[in-house]
Amino acid sequence: MAKKRDGQQNDRKLRDGKAVSRRDFVKKGAAAGVGAGAAVLSTSGTALAQVSPADAVKWHYEADIVVIGAGCTGLPAAIRARDLGVSVIVVDQNFDIGGKMLHSGGQVSFGGGDPLQLRDIRGERDPEGFVTAPRLHTVEELTEDPDFLFRDHTDWSVMDTAAQAPYRYNERDLHRAYADNCSAARAFLMANYVRFGRISGTHGNGGMSRARRAVTFLMEGATTDIKRGTVSRQDAGIRGVSSSHFAPRFMEDGAKVASPGARINGAALSRGLEFAAREKGVRFILNRHMDEIVREQQFSGRVVGIRASYSPRFDPATGARLESLWQNGNIDDRTETIYIRARKAIVIGAGGHGANPQFRSMFYPAWREPAFVSSGWALLGPRGQDASGIIAGMRVGANLAGMQQNLSYGSTFHFPGTLATRDPYTDMLPGHPTFSMRGSTGIPLGTDSFQHLIVVNQVGKRFFNELLVTTREGGAAFPAGPGKGQPKSGLDHVQLDWRNASVANVRATYAEPSSIHAALAMNEGSKAPDFLSGPVWAIFDRAAVERDKWNINPPFTSPTNGFFFSADTIEELAAKIQKGHEFQRVPLAYLAETVARWNSYVDSNRDPEFGRGPDAPMHRIEKPPFYAASLYPVWHDSYGGLRINGRAQVIDMQGEPIPGLYAGGESSGGGNQHGLGRALVHGYIAGSNAAGEPTGTR
Amino acid sequence: MASDGAADAVDAGAEAIQAHTTSLVAWDIPSAIVAGDRFRIAVGIKCANECNLTNGAFGIYDHEGAQVATGTVSGDRWPGTTGLYVAEVELVAPAKEGLYTWSAKTPALDVGVPHAEGAVSFGVRIVSPPEYVVTVETVDRASQAPLAGARVVMHPYKAVTDERGVARVRVAKGAYRLFVSQTRYLTFGVPVEVTRDMTTRAELDVEPVRERN
Repeated sequence: MAKKRDGQQNDRKLRDGKAVSRRDFVKKGAAAGVGAGAAVLSTSGTALAQVSPADAVKWHYEADIVVIGAGCTGLPAAIRARDLGVSVIVVDQNFDIGGKMLHSGGQVSFGGGDPLQLRDIRGERDPEGFVTAPRLHTVEELTEDPDFLFRDHTDWSVMDTAAQAPYRYNERDLHRAYADNCSAARAFLMANYVRFGRISGTHGNGGMSRARRAVTFLMEGATTDIKRGTVSRQDAGIRGVSSSHFAPRFMEDGAKVASPGARINGAALSRGLEFAAREKGVRFILNRHMDEIVREQQFSGRVVGIRASYSPRFDPATGARLESLWQNGNIDDRTETIYIRARKAIVIGAGGHGANPQFRSMFYPAWREPAFVSSGWALLGPRGQDASGIIAGMRVGANLAGMQQNLSYGSTFHFPGTLATRDPYTDMLPGHPTFSMRGSTGIPLGTDSFQHLIVVNQVGKRFFNELLVTTREGGAAFPAGPGKGQPKSGLDHVQLDWRNASVANVRATYAEPSSIHAALAMNEGSKAPDFLSGPVWAIFDRAAVERDKWNINPPFTSPTNGFFFSADTIEELAAKIQKGHEFQRVPLAYLAETVARWNSYVDSNRDPEFGRGPDAPMHRIEKPPFYAASLYPVWHDSYGGLRINGRAQVIDMQGEPIPGLYAGGESSGGGNQHGLGRALVHGYIAGSNAAGEPTGTR
Repeated sequence: MASDGAADAVDAGAEAIQAHTTSLVAWDIPSAIVAGDRFRIAVGIKCANECNLTNGAFGIYDHEGAQVATGTVSGDRWPGTTGLYVAEVELVAPAKEGLYTWSAKTPALDVGVPHAEGAVSFGVRIVSPPEYVVTVETVDRASQAPLAGARVVMHPYKAVTDERGVARVRVAKGAYRLFVSQTRYLTFGVPVEVTRDMTTRAELDVEPVRERN
């Protein structure tokens, strides 16, 4: 049985106590309304009741629109709906607003001739005068229209270097709507306190033919003032020292895309939208996990509301409940279970499935490994990215889409290359309220630095060339070229051309790195029934640290979180790992032998097992103390979810919209563009259409 | 050898105490040692039960099993360790080129608490006197600024660039892969055939930082 330890004891107690009692919602005679055949699908952590009968529910709150998730789908949906004059309640399982968007890099790809492309084409600055950097692309690289974008996003012929076709399987109606709404979505964000720098490149799977991506920023100033567009130095973070409640990741320098003093990442996007939402009267119920969508009948009729349970998080040191940065508009309800009525519509923006081992193992059984988490694990907590939005939709008859698209983007799951932390994708420093839940920022290493260490599996054996462990396919996007899988480069790329997909071209450009698969493979420590691959360890010595000047001190490592160990000998190191790491289920029985053999390969300058030698020097691992740092993979992206049409309506198994139900972002499927752009446009479309739904009578 | 204060004394009627595991570590072995030259290595001895091993004895044995040196560890523990007692020992390289496996061993000891034997093997590469000097000038390709502290490797020979970005590597005649590495840069590597003194230039590219979006 895989070891699990939930560090958040209060959460677990509360979670275990949340089994919904039928007396919470069943009125006299309503029991007959609960069908014997009602399907129950499990969401992580909650004990489920049967499907709540719509006509027996006692509503605690109601609004025209109920939005599930306060991230990059939910916030634009909520703001847009408010702009159209309807009331909105947003629920989020976390203690703060922003979802994964808050810790993102803030890069947003739209296109189709959106206002930002036009601004850059004209060489204009932004209205506030913050963007003084010159245009970074040629006029031609920025010029397009929605039809052109639509063709790019549905181009059957484009292959990537892993021989995947990232645009071929995109839902067509959805991408037609995406292309038609990118301009409006960009303008909408800019009207809601979001500032963008110059267009620079395009996201993975965001289209081959044009530059479409821009990063969000705030200007460093004396105070954090969203209206003025400024962020204080403390809130933006101090490099190598601190993050903040405002920005869980250090906000990088944005001089190249905006001007000196610009600070970039997703906090600029998330906090800007949150500010706008609160200003416009969106109500938030945080610490509230949506468990069920209530429909008039389980597979017919309108959706009428949600059931949601209290999901607080507590600081492990003080026991105090974690609180959101801003509170205006919050409804602080600590009732165990509540029902919220949606008079018009529900929008599911609950994120994806990257943190649900059972759900994601549908795509890849090796990912049933509970050790491995999704990016933003500390920020979002154990209830984040748990597939609950998708599962809730499935429970009321929703179809799914894009269920193979996880495999056509190399960052869906990969090794980011940061050591000594459970979530190696995000680099949170102390200063954010959830830092203590991860305990370490992690030791960030470039690919070249992997020459100084060896990487071993849970029994202590090497399994791949260390220099290739973090290599991953980056997604086929502008600019095109053989390095991305296309026969022609840049603006010479031809849309919808059979030569893009020719066998000759695929053979010439194929470069699928397979290190992640080697890491996830079964090994001698893998036991029935799940045969989990277990943790992966980077092993190195003091000489490596001195040679390549690594900082292995706190906060980059933690002496107590079980992801970094130091020992006098290799044998002692193996023993410490087994004792101190909660997912190390077997001894690293081969570690000493592996290190000795590695040293002999270094002496003879040849690695017969995994081919090290030609690309970088090899170094002995011999100088004490010896170190072991976790090298965890992460499930970062989430493709595949509820099928939605071009109006962001959730579609059922008969191909019909489920009345009143909308979804977007990682809760939805049928799209393969990495990053925020997809979800933001979905949210914009969903909010626009949800506001126009008729008001229900239940 | 002092034993740990909390260790048990063996008493005539008591059960035999299991010997403590003893591990040896050897490091700072030069990667290329000229035949017949003197060289120094570091040796550490560790008791798995964290016993104080001051004055613990060890021997160094060559590829034929002959003892070539002895030493004793001091009361100093190696920095960053909890119980690795260390000594430096001077050795003499064999006369003939080659890659040899030598070892360090500590005998079983019984001073109140029994300690098992311990041993570690390490490679010793003996080279003929290097005849030629390869001068490597290292710069950042984009700025052309010299890179100080860059690591030059022409296996088994190594050097580090000075403040002018220049390193001088003494090597034997032969074919090598020349590597130059620097933190945050991609390793520069070229094949080099050395038949005389020569100068070569290494231009390094900064490693692109992968976006985390």
